[in-house]
Amino acid sequence: MRRASRGVGDDQGTARQNGVSAGRGGRGMEGDDDEVLCTAVDMQDDDNDPTRRREIRSKYRDLINSVQQNREDMLSPTNNKLTDVLEEANKLFAEVRQAREAALDAQLLVLATDLGKEKASQLHAEGSSFDPSAFAENLLSFMGLNRLEDEGEMSGGYLPQDAWQKVGNRAQCCFRTAPTFHYMLGSFLAEPPPPRQRIARQRNAPSKEAKRIMPTQLKKMEESHQEATEKEVERILGYLRSYFADDPNSPISYYEFVIDPFSFSRSVENIFHTSFLVRDGLARIYLDEHKLPCIAPIEEGEVEAGGGSTRQQCVISISPKTWKEIIEVFDITEPLIQASATQVDAGTVDPEPQHTD
Amino acid sequence: MSQRKRPHNAPSSQSKGARNSMVLLADEDDDVSYTQPSTSQVQKGLDRLTPAQVDLKTAEVVQFIFVKDQKKIPIRRADIVKHVVKEYRNIYPEILKRTSRTFETVFGLSLKEIDSKNHVYILVNKLDPPDGELLSMTPSNPKTGLLFVILGIIFMKGGVVKESMVWNTLKKLRVDPGEKHVDFGDVKKVVIEEFVKQRYLEHVRVPHTEPLEFEFRWGQRADIEVSKVKLLEFMGQLHDQDPQSWSQQYREATTPQASTAPSGPVSQR
Amino acid sequence: MARPLGEVHKRFLQTMMAKGIIDGDKAKALLRHCCETHGAPINDHLDEFIEVINAQLQPMFMQIRKGMSEEDGLQYYALVNMAETDVTRMSSDYADNELELFRKKKTMDLIVDSDTGTASSTDILNCADSLQTKKLKKKETEHVLNRLVQDEWLKEKQGEYSLSTRCIMEMEPYIRRFYQDQVKLCHICHNVVLQCQMCENPTCGIKIHVPCVARYFKGRTDPRCPACEDFWPHEIPEVNRPSSQSQSAAKEGRAPKSQSTAQTSKTRRS
Repeated sequence: MRRASRGVGDDQGTARQNGVSAGRGGRGMEGDDDEVLCTAVDMQDDDNDPTRRREIRSKYRDLINSVQQNREDMLSPTNNKLTDVLEEANKLFAEVRQAREAALDAQLLVLATDLGKEKASQLHAEGSSFDPSAFAENLLSFMGLNRLEDEGEMSGGYLPQDAWQKVGNRAQCCFRTAPTFHYMLGSFLAEPPPPRQRIARQRNAPSKEAKRIMPTQLKKMEESHQEATEKEVERILGYLRSYFADDPNSPISYYEFVIDPFSFSRSVENIFHTSFLVRDGLARIYLDEHKLPCIAPIEEGEVEAGGGSTRQQCVISISPKTWKEIIEVFDITEPLIQASATQVDAGTVDPEPQHTD
Repeated sequence: MSQRKRPHNAPSSQSKGARNSMVLLADEDDDVSYTQPSTSQVQKGLDRLTPAQVDLKTAEVVQFIFVKDQKKIPIRRADIVKHVVKEYRNIYPEILKRTSRTFETVFGLSLKEIDSKNHVYILVNKLDPPDGELLSMTPSNPKTGLLFVILGIIFMKGGVVKESMVWNTLKKLRVDPGEKHVDFGDVKKVVIEEFVKQRYLEHVRVPHTEPLEFEFRWGQRADIEVSKVKLLEFMGQLHDQDPQSWSQQYREATTPQASTAPSGPVSQR
Repeated sequence: MARPLGEVHKRFLQTMMAKGIIDGDKAKALLRHCCETHGAPINDHLDEFIEVINAQLQPMFMQIRKGMSEEDGLQYYALVNMAETDVTRMSSDYADNELELFRKKKTMDLIVDSDTGTASSTDILNCADSLQTKKLKKKETEHVLNRLVQDEWLKEKQGEYSLSTRCIMEMEPYIRRFYQDQVKLCHICHNVVLQCQMCENPTCGIKIHVPCVARYFKGRTDPRCPACEDFWPHEIPEVNRPSSQSQSAAKEGRAPKSQSTAQTSKTRRS
């Protein structure tokens, strides 16, 4: 190969300012001086032709580029692309006269040497080597590539629509992937909940009034706790109003309303939030004939009328023990206030609040 | 993910104690609230609960893991405790044991810990992949094909390849990272984000490279889920070549692994 | 607890997870393949086999449920979730606004409220403007609808969307509970009925699934409403047999809207 004698050639190349144009491969080194000089003089113009030189440099750069871009291809043991490049460079070098072009030639040579080394090491590796290009070609055939052109250029041919599906099907046996479970029921909160049978409230379509006053403007939960509290208070008000609208004549037991029989902490939260309803004059708590506390919403009109003067907020203490007792005494089996999605926990999974209609 | 804490924590069972082991994990701060309870603590906790309560909690953890597995994202213990186990955290080891048993006995799945330091789990199939008639009844995903190509190249190239090699090969397969693909959409995102998050792939920077270069390796999920023998068989079929002719790869595929082998099914943690 | 599950059961269950829903014929074939794969004797008792699985699924609030398709009248089996909890709401298949598009005052409501059990894509696209969680652009809405069809929650036919068999099978308890004022039960099979034929007698107005119509009126020359004896004015489709290939027989005669007083006069909730 050409590169065997390259060392000499390089020296020649760089040392050629004075017009040594003997060419490559040792030819002319021993030629007689007259002839050499004569040739040099003759070719003086040609050597310095800027257009020609630019052209050579540009060709070198293209070659270097293509080597860098197609590294994997060059390495492939199934083709001779590396040799092709070197032959191309050989042709170019025949016309190299000046240092700048020679430097590019050297750069290309370094690249090619690296690739050659790597390619050789593949051959020495134990067993067969793996060539991604051949792999891609074989896979394309497996996918059912419709090869249109025989030119063998990469872009030729069309893949059928199910090409990747086909690979997926065949490759499936390599994977021990667990199947996934998908569902629709339970992926969102059904609100408002149907009223419980126990309190025997007839489920009617809520009145226009109830619809109108139900909270609707709940946006993403990216706000402070205070805002979160406000939203929660609003949500609970929605429940209270819808239960009340279902049957305005039967009183709603305060404890049944706030106690969540499944969660002490949620009960505490409900009590906390409900207290704001009372403080803000949106709900009132009164005692029924058995001296048990009941809760009812205050209609919008009433808010003004009632005035704020008589309102008071009181604190109720509740312990897990009393909580259990209340559940027993009132026979509470389900919460009247469904846990909101934000109560799931720190909002990582389901940051959106629920909407009441 | 939000780091917001609930205003009230469950009043019970916020166990205090040796947290030193967790302190190192700066970004895992929500794990701090969880401390592995001792066996006797677990027993005490169990005594205080009815079997139905424990069963219900177990079912919730099973559901939670199924939900998280919908996108094949590994599941952190911290999240299981925080979102589901909550006030039952003192019996967490027992609940996880039962959860793991349920996956095995009912679904034929196995809950495996892929990261014993941060306690991260994935679900893996215990049944052999379907073949024959069954295969035709089981829907498969084109993304499995894409994964095969990438994992295949990495494996055949000795375990690590430059990112450019993967893209160059994919380009030949008409998958251009710069274009929207019919099956994969934004391929770059699928490969570098989705597959990495699912732990099929590791995508790491090669040090001291300018411009930046990255390389791909197999992720922990691939180590557990993917059969190298089967992969090599498919490679052999594609190249019309005996899988054994790739002697290095064949040896690796057939020797049981000891080094990277992740811990077996979850038992006691 | 119930009998432990063998590999055949687990394989069957896993395939149900992957597929979501399969028709009766396929379920039988699947059971056969599962038996063959694991070298077990062929089991022909599909329903008993499924019962064994269901006993184990029950604590997880999951179930393989059997039901009839409104569309073709065939039996189907679907793996459904039955729990509605904080945990199940963490499902990430659809974003919150996408779920909102599916349910409240939106697609599901339109479908359930309609006499035909369908909603037009235009109506759905229009209501996408009023999403509270996060607005969806028209293009995004179309994309969500496509996904819902692909995942077999909705069915689409010439721009009309209906609830899929899988969706109705899983959501039936929810539909009964949430839409109890609007939803009707089929006069023949007493299941929830959405896509149907309806009696045109304004004082009657009963609904019957199209496949139930086919079975009920089969061979009758003078079809009359089973409730009011009025003439049944719709095209009577042919009965769709399980293993028969043709599904074209189950053509739908859409119920005319004119006299549906019983439905439309009611105040519609949510």
